[in-house]
Amino acid sequence: MAPITTASNEETHGALLDALDLQKVPKPFRKPDWKPPQRRNKNLKQILSEAQRAQQSIITTQQNSGASTPLPPTDGTITPASLNPNPAQANNDLSRVVLEKNIAAQQTSGVVASLTANVGGLAVTPSVTYTSIAAAPSLKPKKKYCDITGLPAKYTDPKSGLFYFNAEVYKVVKNLSTTQVQEYLAARGANTVLK
Amino acid sequence: MPHFTIPILADSGRNTPKEPPTDTFHLSDPPYQGQLPTDLSTYRRSASTGDTAIIIDNGSFSIRAGWQTEATPRLQFPPLMARYTDRKLNRKLMFIGSEIYFDGTARGQAKSIYEPGSNIVNNWDVQEGVLDYVWLKLGIDGQQGGVDRPVVMTEPLANTTYTRKVMSEILYELYNVPAVAYGVDSLFSYNYNGGTTGLVISSAHTSTHLIPVVDKQPLLSHATRLDWGRAQCVEFLTRLLKVKYPGLITSSKVTDTQIEDLVRNHCYVSQDYREETLRMLEWAGLEDRDQLVQLPFQEKEIIQKTEEELKMAEERRREGGRRLQEQAAKMRLDKLIKKEQETEYLKDVLIRVQEAPTKKAARELLDEEEFKDEAALDRKIKEMEKTIRKQRNKDVGDLEEESKEVPAYPLLSTPDDELDEDGIRAKKAQRLLKANHDARARAKAEKEAEKERQAEVQRQDDAYRERDFESWVNDRRAERQTVVQRIRDRDRLKADLGNRKSQASQMRMKHIANLASDNPNGKKRRRGNADDDGFGADDADWGIYREIQAGRNDDDEEDEEEDLGAQLKGLETLLLRFDPQFTEQSTQEAQRDWTKSLYHAFARGPYAFDQESAKESAQFHLNVERIRVPEVIFQPSIAGVDQAGLVELVESIMMERLSGHAQRDAMLKDVFVTGGYAMFQGFEERLVTELRAVLPLEAAVKVRRARIPVLDAWRGAAGWAGTEESRGKFVSRGEWMEKGGEYLREHNLGNVFT
Repeated sequence: MAPITTASNEETHGALLDALDLQKVPKPFRKPDWKPPQRRNKNLKQILSEAQRAQQSIITTQQNSGASTPLPPTDGTITPASLNPNPAQANNDLSRVVLEKNIAAQQTSGVVASLTANVGGLAVTPSVTYTSIAAAPSLKPKKKYCDITGLPAKYTDPKSGLFYFNAEVYKVVKNLSTTQVQEYLAARGANTVLK
Repeated sequence: MPHFTIPILADSGRNTPKEPPTDTFHLSDPPYQGQLPTDLSTYRRSASTGDTAIIIDNGSFSIRAGWQTEATPRLQFPPLMARYTDRKLNRKLMFIGSEIYFDGTARGQAKSIYEPGSNIVNNWDVQEGVLDYVWLKLGIDGQQGGVDRPVVMTEPLANTTYTRKVMSEILYELYNVPAVAYGVDSLFSYNYNGGTTGLVISSAHTSTHLIPVVDKQPLLSHATRLDWGRAQCVEFLTRLLKVKYPGLITSSKVTDTQIEDLVRNHCYVSQDYREETLRMLEWAGLEDRDQLVQLPFQEKEIIQKTEEELKMAEERRREGGRRLQEQAAKMRLDKLIKKEQETEYLKDVLIRVQEAPTKKAARELLDEEEFKDEAALDRKIKEMEKTIRKQRNKDVGDLEEESKEVPAYPLLSTPDDELDEDGIRAKKAQRLLKANHDARARAKAEKEAEKERQAEVQRQDDAYRERDFESWVNDRRAERQTVVQRIRDRDRLKADLGNRKSQASQMRMKHIANLASDNPNGKKRRRGNADDDGFGADDADWGIYREIQAGRNDDDEEDEEEDLGAQLKGLETLLLRFDPQFTEQSTQEAQRDWTKSLYHAFARGPYAFDQESAKESAQFHLNVERIRVPEVIFQPSIAGVDQAGLVELVESIMMERLSGHAQRDAMLKDVFVTGGYAMFQGFEERLVTELRAVLPLEAAVKVRRARIPVLDAWRGAAGWAGTEESRGKFVSRGEWMEKGGEYLREHNLGNVFT
């Protein structure tokens, strides 16, 4: 049946509505007592900022834990059982154990290990996040194109900052109103935004 | 001295305007596909093993879903849901996917899973609705409680943990799915197309990903995402059309899907952008490059009255006029009669006054009629008689023409001392009257003389023309040119005065300062004329005020002494009448030849444009936009995206980050392109050309495209789900409950845990 935009009358529309409506259709595969958690619709900005904050907190906790003890010297001298120079505390010290565990984890080559950035031999942050793979700005010089016609532009109008192709297009540019100028600039991302 | 001859290009004549195009395009209808069918067969068949996975490609442009055993996804629909309460029927309604397009209200209420421009799930209610729809159409009956088949779902590269967590929660908790696996769509597509080592360029609806793959393992730390895809193309084209045809997009309510179809049907990737844009608007062949899109329009109603109706209308108008005239005539007649009666009465009074016995009685009579004295009364009577006579003449025409007598001024000749006071006053009055009369006579005479002179000039002109046609025509043409030139100069002057720094403006300021200053002639004062510099004595001095006036009011044309516009018109009509070569076209030269205008070619194509026509005002011409819009992926600065272009990204990955990699050259031999953007015509060729330009000579670059760029991700996922080792990567429900919502089992076609 054709959509309502073309020839259709009340009846056919109503019948189609009933046919397509899913509200009344039973959905037995759903758990009946399911309640969606509150406020789970987050937009990208919120998700990323929350992830960023979580990341920060992990880093700060890692910095205070035993996981950040430095690597032991490997010059052949007998390594002490504990890294703590104080022999009284050395027996109760777990720093060596933690360190060895971390080294072992590091050496198991896996996809994770190859990705984690190593700072002093320790895993700090994973380097594949949504923000980290975003492309960097271009290092090449940008080519200018006429804002009105799209042809390559050699000239810039000093008053409005629009690029234009030739004198004829300039006549058009001269007679643009402020809103139009801003719309042209917005297509290029160069409009002024008042906050 | 060397002598050069420069070839003078003959001024190319006016370009021939083209015929209106035969194939115009129209805006598409809403993409209503009808109701997608429900099929229970596969579900029933797989009930025995319960192992057939449901593959869902959760894309930002469309959701593709089906069983792993099928060749193509059974369901393909946009990720939209409309849930609202209908006022008239007073019930809740819910529509999913392309079915929302059947109703305008539904379409208005539709929400997408994704925010515009992003491929991270945003609206989970819509996601739930979409999943409900998928299960329904695939025939899941929920008898065992929930969905009882494993699910493979695609997610964007480097998907956020939060999103995966919520998605898992929905799948495991709400739908009781036994096992779920996630993967990246582009990697699935690459795997399906038999790729082992290469560079995957997945350019889809909302973003473009570049992923280097070595021995089936993706190097995700070197992957990149460029935020440009088909959705951004649509937005860009909308913006461009909005500024090119102001008001047309909003007034005719062009929708997103229609612009999307425009992008899909008309845009292509140019091989050499700079060259092609320069040649795009050339007249030759423009009708092939320019594509005309006709929007729906309404013809302006020109009610063609038939002959009879016109005649009747005229009759009625004349009738009305006649009736009014009659009424007016009657009124005038009445007034005339009344006046005559009054005159009679006054005459009577005069007689009585003259026959009055005493002066006092006469005085009384006069006072009654409010007249100063007899003379005044007499005068009044004479006046009234004159007006009556005139009117009689005009209306009734029964009295003969009054002879135009020269009114006599007898008193003027008598010297002053012979008259008394009254006489002197009377004499002054008479002198005044005579002066008036003389002045009027003079004015009339002058007018006649002027008319005579005009007629004389005209006669001379005609004689000249008859005598020597050629030179007359040349004269007129030269005159016309000078007028055109003067108009142009005047316009330029006006424009100059607007600009503060121009020469004209500075001169003007100088004049003003000079006039306003106390000693305009500088410090040296003229001897003898200390205070008076004699400004104003000479008439030409006042001309300076005309120079000062900035002439900003554009309606000044009527006030100007030289009405250049009218002059031009007059000359042109003359020339049109007599000069055989001067045609309508030549007058248009004053209005600029539209066939030579670049802007006209840009906005209206090589066709004539009629301002009045409603049909032509509702047309788009797509010429430069056809290549400008897809070009952004190669030069994102065109649309203001502050990221490097596609080729530069490949260059940075291959030449910098992976420069020492052993497999680098092998990767370049298999540059794999997938995703909806790859379906633009000319995409691969362009990529090859540009890559060859930036990569080292010995690196052999080969670019290939997925077999069906849009579907291969789903097909790859389906293929992968059929393999043995894939099953090991599914996370079962028990595991998920135990290890937490963020648990992810990594595999070579999916994301890594962050």
